[in-house]
Amino acid sequence: MKISREWLQTYFDAPLPEAQVLADALTFHAFEVETVEDDVLDVKITPNRGHDCLSHRSIAKEFSAIANLPMKDDPLRAVISLEPKTDVIKITIEDAKLCPRFTGAYIKGVRVGPSPDWLRKQLEAVGQKSINNVVDITNFVMFNIGQPLHAFDAGKLTDKGSTRALTIRLAKKGEKLLGLDDKEYELAPSILVIEDANAGVIASIAGIKGGKPTGIDETTKDIFLEAANWNGVTIRKTSQALKLRTDASDRFQQVISPELTAYGTQAAAKLIAELAGGEIVGYVDEYPTPQKSWSVSVSTSKVNKVLGTVLADNDVADAFTRLDLPFEKKSEMFTVAVPFERLDLVIPEDLIEEVARIVGYDKISATELAPFSTKPEVNSNFYAAERARGELISQGYSEVYISVFADKGKREVLNKVGGERPYLRSTLIDGLREAHERNVRNKDLLGLKEIRLFEIGTVWGKEEEQIMLGTADEKGVREEPLKGLTSEIYDDLPTSTTERYKIFSRFPFIVRDIALWVPASATAEEVLEVIRSHAGELLVRSEKFDEFKKGEKTSLAFRLVFQSFDRTLTDEDANARMESVYKAVKEKGWEVR
Amino acid sequence: MERGHIHPISSLIREANRIFSDMGFTFAEGPLLESEHYNFDMLNFPKDHPARDMQDTFFMKDEPGMVLRTHTSNVQGRYMESQMKKDMVPPYRVIVPGKVFRNEATDITHEAEFYQLEGLAVGEDVTLANLKGTLARFFRELFKGADVEIRFRPSFFPFTEPSVEVDMRVSGENVPEKLRGRWIEMMGAGMVHPNVLKNAGVDPAKYKGFAFGVGLDRIALLRWGIDDIRLMHSADLRFINQF
Repeated sequence: MKISREWLQTYFDAPLPEAQVLADALTFHAFEVETVEDDVLDVKITPNRGHDCLSHRSIAKEFSAIANLPMKDDPLRAVISLEPKTDVIKITIEDAKLCPRFTGAYIKGVRVGPSPDWLRKQLEAVGQKSINNVVDITNFVMFNIGQPLHAFDAGKLTDKGSTRALTIRLAKKGEKLLGLDDKEYELAPSILVIEDANAGVIASIAGIKGGKPTGIDETTKDIFLEAANWNGVTIRKTSQALKLRTDASDRFQQVISPELTAYGTQAAAKLIAELAGGEIVGYVDEYPTPQKSWSVSVSTSKVNKVLGTVLADNDVADAFTRLDLPFEKKSEMFTVAVPFERLDLVIPEDLIEEVARIVGYDKISATELAPFSTKPEVNSNFYAAERARGELISQGYSEVYISVFADKGKREVLNKVGGERPYLRSTLIDGLREAHERNVRNKDLLGLKEIRLFEIGTVWGKEEEQIMLGTADEKGVREEPLKGLTSEIYDDLPTSTTERYKIFSRFPFIVRDIALWVPASATAEEVLEVIRSHAGELLVRSEKFDEFKKGEKTSLAFRLVFQSFDRTLTDEDANARMESVYKAVKEKGWEVR
Repeated sequence: MERGHIHPISSLIREANRIFSDMGFTFAEGPLLESEHYNFDMLNFPKDHPARDMQDTFFMKDEPGMVLRTHTSNVQGRYMESQMKKDMVPPYRVIVPGKVFRNEATDITHEAEFYQLEGLAVGEDVTLANLKGTLARFFRELFKGADVEIRFRPSFFPFTEPSVEVDMRVSGENVPEKLRGRWIEMMGAGMVHPNVLKNAGVDPAKYKGFAFGVGLDRIALLRWGIDDIRLMHSADLRFINQF
């Protein structure tokens, strides 16, 4: 979520530190900050805090706790009264499980127009386009305190005996809505909608998208402001089904507290009256089952037992105080009366995490586990795999890993990105054969006489999953099930001693052989040295492959491999290098055969 | 015949098993094609919760409820449950090295199949400080004698509470330049969520635990300076024979 430093500043009297300092504070005590650009932080809110933290107010709250810097004022701690009530709009909720609360305000005589500069700038800073004062205010309140809102043009809702009516219900098959984005949405019976009940037509898709026919425009005079609470799963499924994600749906699908609607409605209604004129006629509030308050308890000794710390009661109390978590302490126990928006705080461990991150994870020492009382068991499959590895490697086989995805098999993946090779392999053979062929082509480059490969990998039959051991060499490819072996201890096998991997060229290479008669006194090493020093930097491998004596002379044959890192070599490239080699060996008096 | 070569991940697993075995951890394993029950439900992932979307899961055709495991954490529930069925109460210490899957497009840093090493320690007195100490020792031994620091940052996983991201900083002359002196994000970890213990039949009032899951491909890339994660499954001896 984009968080503007300037916006955060509105919550504090003291000047805030620069954006990067804010970012570091959040990263080590609350949430990872992915980027900092032009005083705007991109904060990665974790799913457990989607309930309460998708707003500037909550990030201010977090920073206040981390930096122990008091907030000027917390809008969610104000006392709210939604008075006076109005009966101009009648609300009916068909299923309160899907809509736990529906709050609204009826405002008469507004002037829709451009937003003041401060509002436009704040929205633009977090990547929002300014539309008009009324719509901007609903967005502002959402980014400020986290409650999504929607404004209807009340004049466009159907009037019946001077009352309007909204019904919250599931859509009927075949119903459609023209959205504010000018797209027509086809609705299904799983989708929750708000119906203009006097007309029997859909006015908006609950919590996701308003409808064009009842939208705000320059002619709007009277508005009905909606701040509702929606079932998170329903919103998430609708959002997925319609492929429509909005800032509102992102919040609702995380499940937010129904208490928040009152704060949202009132904040937006007051701002509208202030910035767009108009008179707040009254509020409506359908809230059949108010959210119950709850508390969570933890003791300092439990905190220390989980974290491995030696915190005192004061440290725990201090963390709760800074987080504005009201608590009572009776003997050992801290009992926290959880603020309504903190739906994430449910079990003692949740409070322990709060203490840990405010105290700071850097305060947790690195303490090794006590020695273990029992000897670790030897895993029979791993033991067998290790033993097979050891044996095969000593016989010149190299270990490969091959993808388990194949173009045929007995089990199929449903949703593979790209759709290629959707099957789970039922054998190692095909992959090993292909890998063997591929590596044979590089035999000279690798300096191997024979390519020998093995893989220990999983395959899938119709019912079962099995670990197979497969080998590939010049005699063919074969596999057998890996059979577990019991042992008291693991064999002591070597690990790779390689320090650094060297990037290899992906371009084709060229092989040239050279055979020479040299005097018996000349060694192969000496000859190879001369060849190497004249073959140039494209020579990547050189070795002797034949040697025999005939009288006073020795015949030596070498294989030279040329390759470039940035292009495909031509015959001419190799010929030129070989010419210099021929010239050099002739100068030595050696005879090229 | 010249000796063949070990795959770098196999070499890492061999080394990790040795280090963890010395600390009392048993090598455990579990299926790659897994039920949602063990991959998600047992690990306190609520049904229909956005946290499941974090996983980019492969589902199976005509096999509802089955997935390619998204982490080696599926073995947490399997291991504890099987121990409790044998009346073996904690302490437990296990590592689970193995293949895991993410349904995403591949590039030089992303693979749809890769290797993870899960660690789980459960007992009456296991703490978050022990997690730090255990990981510090693992990396110290893996980077032979280098100076290793471990740093935690707050995070969230449904199966741990508190949850942390673990960063590592290795200093010392023999440390690869890419790694030396830099904080590097290594893994997610935390204290086992009481519901995970409860789901496996372990009493959360009596026992606590830590769990972590580290990417082995990532360690290999950092340690050897490998520039493309896709080399791991390339079966190309130009790569393998360097190890």
